[in-house]
Amino acid sequence: MGIPFKKIGLAITFSPTGKALLYEAGRLVKLFAAEIVLIHNGEKTLEAETKLAELIESAGFNFSSVNIEWVKGDIADTIINKAVEKNVDLLLVGALEKENIIKYYSGSVARKIMRQAGCSVLVLTSPSETPVSFKKFCVSVDYSMQSENAIKTAYDLAMLEKAEKLILIREIQAPGLAMTVQDSGSMREVELARQTWAKEEKDKMEMLIKEMNLTEIDIETHCLYGKEGYEANKFVEQINGDIFVVPAPQKKLKLFDRIFQHDFEFTLKQIPCPVLIIRNPGK
Amino acid sequence: MSQLSSTELFQFILAITVMLGFGKGFGELFRKLKQAPVVGEIIAGIILGPTILGYFFPDLLKFVFPESGPVGYSLEAITQLSILFLLLAVGLEVDLGILIRYGKSALITTFYGMLIPFIFGFAVAFLIPQFFIDNPDERLIFALFLGTALSISALPIIARTLLDLNIFRTKLGMMIIASAMFNDLIGWIAFSIFLSVAEGTGTGLSIVSPIVLILLFTAVMIVIVRKLFHRMIPWVQKELSWPGGIIGFIMVMGLVGALITEKLGMHTILGAFIMGVALGDSVHLRESTREIIQQFITNIFAPLFFVYIGLRINFLTAFDPTIVIIVLVLGFAGKIIGAGYGAYKGGFGKNESFAVGFAMNSRGVLEIILSLFALEMGIINESLFVGIIFLVVISSILSGPLIKLSLGKDKLKGFVQLLSSEDIVISNAVSKRDAVMELVELACSKHKLDKTNVFNEVWKREESLSTGIENHLAIPHAKIDIKKPIAVIALNKDGLNFEAADNELSKIIVLLLTPKNENELQLKLLSEVANLFADKTNSKEIINSDSSEEILSKLVKIKSRME
Repeated sequence: MGIPFKKIGLAITFSPTGKALLYEAGRLVKLFAAEIVLIHNGEKTLEAETKLAELIESAGFNFSSVNIEWVKGDIADTIINKAVEKNVDLLLVGALEKENIIKYYSGSVARKIMRQAGCSVLVLTSPSETPVSFKKFCVSVDYSMQSENAIKTAYDLAMLEKAEKLILIREIQAPGLAMTVQDSGSMREVELARQTWAKEEKDKMEMLIKEMNLTEIDIETHCLYGKEGYEANKFVEQINGDIFVVPAPQKKLKLFDRIFQHDFEFTLKQIPCPVLIIRNPGK
Repeated sequence: MSQLSSTELFQFILAITVMLGFGKGFGELFRKLKQAPVVGEIIAGIILGPTILGYFFPDLLKFVFPESGPVGYSLEAITQLSILFLLLAVGLEVDLGILIRYGKSALITTFYGMLIPFIFGFAVAFLIPQFFIDNPDERLIFALFLGTALSISALPIIARTLLDLNIFRTKLGMMIIASAMFNDLIGWIAFSIFLSVAEGTGTGLSIVSPIVLILLFTAVMIVIVRKLFHRMIPWVQKELSWPGGIIGFIMVMGLVGALITEKLGMHTILGAFIMGVALGDSVHLRESTREIIQQFITNIFAPLFFVYIGLRINFLTAFDPTIVIIVLVLGFAGKIIGAGYGAYKGGFGKNESFAVGFAMNSRGVLEIILSLFALEMGIINESLFVGIIFLVVISSILSGPLIKLSLGKDKLKGFVQLLSSEDIVISNAVSKRDAVMELVELACSKHKLDKTNVFNEVWKREESLSTGIENHLAIPHAKIDIKKPIAVIALNKDGLNFEAADNELSKIIVLLLTPKNENELQLKLLSEVANLFADKTNSKEIINSDSSEEILSKLVKIKSRME
């Protein structure tokens, strides 16, 4: 069993959510026996320092031994840059499940970090001062190296959490398939093609499990037909997944990807549960 | 409102019945012959029209299909409606997501796949217009028409061919679909611009404003209206009857699109098509809804439209072999060279690029609609119209066989297709290591690979986790620096210990080598081999073989039995 993360970064604020996130970070620090880096965007004054010390100690950390980084400027940019500078490998952020349309397109702090951070990001929509472990892990599979990395991380994390289940989700879509009925196909043939593909995907996932030697936890595989990104998100929501692990997109997402929705943007638009975005450091 | 008389009503219903009955009948016949139904529907029209029925029974033709009067106008209106719904159906299947996912390679393929045939068509029409039109002064608009007509592809025929060849969901298949969708999108916009230019030329209006209007309309529909539909469709599907509610909604929206574009001075078909794109992109639109709409339109409106084409033209008198040959050569050469070159530039191999070229060479409804409008506007004559119909028919018939030919037996990259009898050996190895080495040597000598490197990779994988599988099967494997997958088999009747889960010795040992960056292909082949021998009787059948030829022929039989 590997330890997926060794240095956790958290952007600390004085809000109630900020406090809850600190408690969540505390739990993860213990779980991974990791180091924590707290990033605070604001002026370093005596008052701010005292307030921060109280907050940090209330969450069970020793203020004098915690690494606090004071930054100023654009909130998302400073957090992303500081995390890179400090070699953080997991950034913890809080986010709303859904943002209003203007904020979504203009880009909030949390969404910007999810899109642009240089390391993995754990997004919590309802952080709690009494955090609980994740029991039902869902992972999005596309057989890329990034996806394999996400599965491996999810598996290690699930083992640490003594999770009940790891669910591998593969989405498939064949745009234009319905159109084959225009050219001599029948709905039965189309349905048969879909079923064959779904079976092939299940077989590939089973083979992947064997290849990766994921034997010590109960693993389910699901193949969903429909728009990639959207279907998995909906499925995770429906089955009340505790955490959804996804590989980060291989390119930096821009406004264009929000208008003509990139697969990953479906998750950002409506966060179904805590989401862990796996990004290989340095990539 | 004036009404059709009893005789006119009878005539109208008779015409629709004959068109639909013959169209569907010939479509089904061609489906049985594994050909595109559109070809059968056009032939039905030729039989029912002036070419055959009119030749033998001119009065009967005039009675059943009058060209003017209330019945003639009614038939014309039905055809216009058919065109709108056909376009709506094409738009519904354009997936903007796939265009983004396969963006670069699909864009390059589309770019060259449209540019080269456009240049071919434009240049020939502009330089030697006398072959095609009576008035060489109208060469510019005619050249624009021929360039546009030759540069577009037929998504339904392409999709169907890919499904038949079992390559729909491969990287190649999806790239072809994405390119065909790009082609549709750009083709219809170019087509609308062409119509505006053609109409503007006659009236002396500026051609810039309609182009700006078309692009603006498309942008608004795709960026804003698409998002509105995304919110509306769940409500429609939940609150209205299913599937009637959503089907009605989509059809009405298609017509609204047509009305808007007509009102804005653009052609109705652009509105129906773009409305289809905006509606079809919604994640909430169920797949079954799409299929029902496609079925409805395909089985009612497509036969009516294609039969109508045959009713319009006398194919015998309009047939000009020189024009047909020129159109065929230009169409085939432009598209195959253009799309093939684009795919090659986009990173595909030589054979796959040819396959892309052949697939994109499929033509269909778009060319016919475009040509029909051009014919009605007097831009082309009936001979060229017939030439285009020939291009549609022949390219539809040939696209499947040509793709098959270009991909050869590599097409599925399936396990059995990878094998020849030279890749199979009867082994006497006494250890797992010896057997793996024997297989590695066999693969490396044939494919000129460094056997030490390959063995090290395979053995590293074997040591991390043994590859024995149930039913006497073992699949040692590795990802190495090769372009195509390699499979070799050893039959070891004594069996070797590959630590299989059922504790049986492995007698069928399959070495699989796959390209480094193709994780999915490796998993596909591994699961395919495992499935092949998941049934004990299949393993026994292979174990009881005495030669590599026998093993290969049994594998082919097992594979076809499983399919």
